[in-house]
Amino acid sequence: MAAYRKIEGKSTQILEKIRENLEQLNEKIDVMIEIQKHGQRELPENLPEALDVMTLLSLPDHLRKTAVTLCKLEKATADEVSEQTKRARAVESGYLNQLVVMGYMKKEREGRKAYFYVDRET
Amino acid sequence: MKKIIAVHSYKGGTGKTSLSTNLAATFVRNGKKVCLMDLDFRAPSLHAIFKKQNLDYWLNDYLNGVCEINKVLIDATNNNGNGGKLLVGLANPSTEAIRDMTAKDRKWEMKALGRLLALRSALLNDGNFDYIIFDTSPGLQYSSINAIVAADIVLVVTSLDASDINGSQRMTSELYDLFEKKTGILINKVIVDYLKSKEEQKKFTKKMKDIHNLPILATIPCFCEVLRAAGNFIFTEERPDHPFTETLEDLAEKVEKF
Repeated sequence: MAAYRKIEGKSTQILEKIRENLEQLNEKIDVMIEIQKHGQRELPENLPEALDVMTLLSLPDHLRKTAVTLCKLEKATADEVSEQTKRARAVESGYLNQLVVMGYMKKEREGRKAYFYVDRET
Repeated sequence: MKKIIAVHSYKGGTGKTSLSTNLAATFVRNGKKVCLMDLDFRAPSLHAIFKKQNLDYWLNDYLNGVCEINKVLIDATNNNGNGGKLLVGLANPSTEAIRDMTAKDRKWEMKALGRLLALRSALLNDGNFDYIIFDTSPGLQYSSINAIVAADIVLVVTSLDASDINGSQRMTSELYDLFEKKTGILINKVIVDYLKSKEEQKKFTKKMKDIHNLPILATIPCFCEVLRAAGNFIFTEERPDHPFTETLEDLAEKVEKF
């Protein structure tokens, strides 16, 4: 029984790891798509953007919803944003990464979770 | 349910400040804890109604990150025995402060939005307020759009002036809808003849609902007594039996359920 539990625990760990890697791959693909769409010039280090209300108004509807939700949450994961917007986590992850590429948001990893936030200080 | 309410309009002079103040006073009379804030930094007004001139801290200072919100709020409760409480946050009326606020850049406005959004946690959750009411500046300006984004519901005050109606319609499609805001219309300064009987009032409200395509939360007649008060006192506090006070009671009930 103990040996069975050990094997089961191990396979759960492997599956978790695969899921994590797939998510990271997904995020990277989102970023690549965005760069292809808008070009390298819109990367944050070249064009720091302020996410003020006039900018929020100019965003397409789907990105505005994500951006406003993140403004309210201050710092959140794609999961937390999707809880508020009632859209799928993968969809929100894609939109959040688009907003990062556009320079309106920042992203940082804390352990296994990716957090998104609006940088109001720099 | 706790709410942040932004009172907005397309044009100036529609009665935003009068309605914000009297709505706040009505909630307080009903035992609610309310925070009323003057976010019209270009033309501050609430300091005149609450007769405050020389303060250590204004809302400008809170948005500038100079102080926390508790330093700004002033207790303006009239002892009514219902347990209600009114705190006000005032905009600095000095010319220098107005000039300073009009020269802010996009980065500052982005931080100001963050400070306004933080009020929900500081006042509604930790401070146990029932309502925060933002009295905003008219039209499409940074301070008013920041207030709208931070609010749960928007009350749009409009007169029957054609340009005002047209502007309010445009703001609905180009501002409130884009931020998915729950929006209600307050028609102010209505000619008394339009509201002579219940039947006519119903017909008028239906007509306005069709024009704005939004719920009409109040049709407020143009009362000479309210005009005569000239913003020197809070009308609903001084004249509890006046029909204007009755209209505001009805509005407060609708806003609570909205």
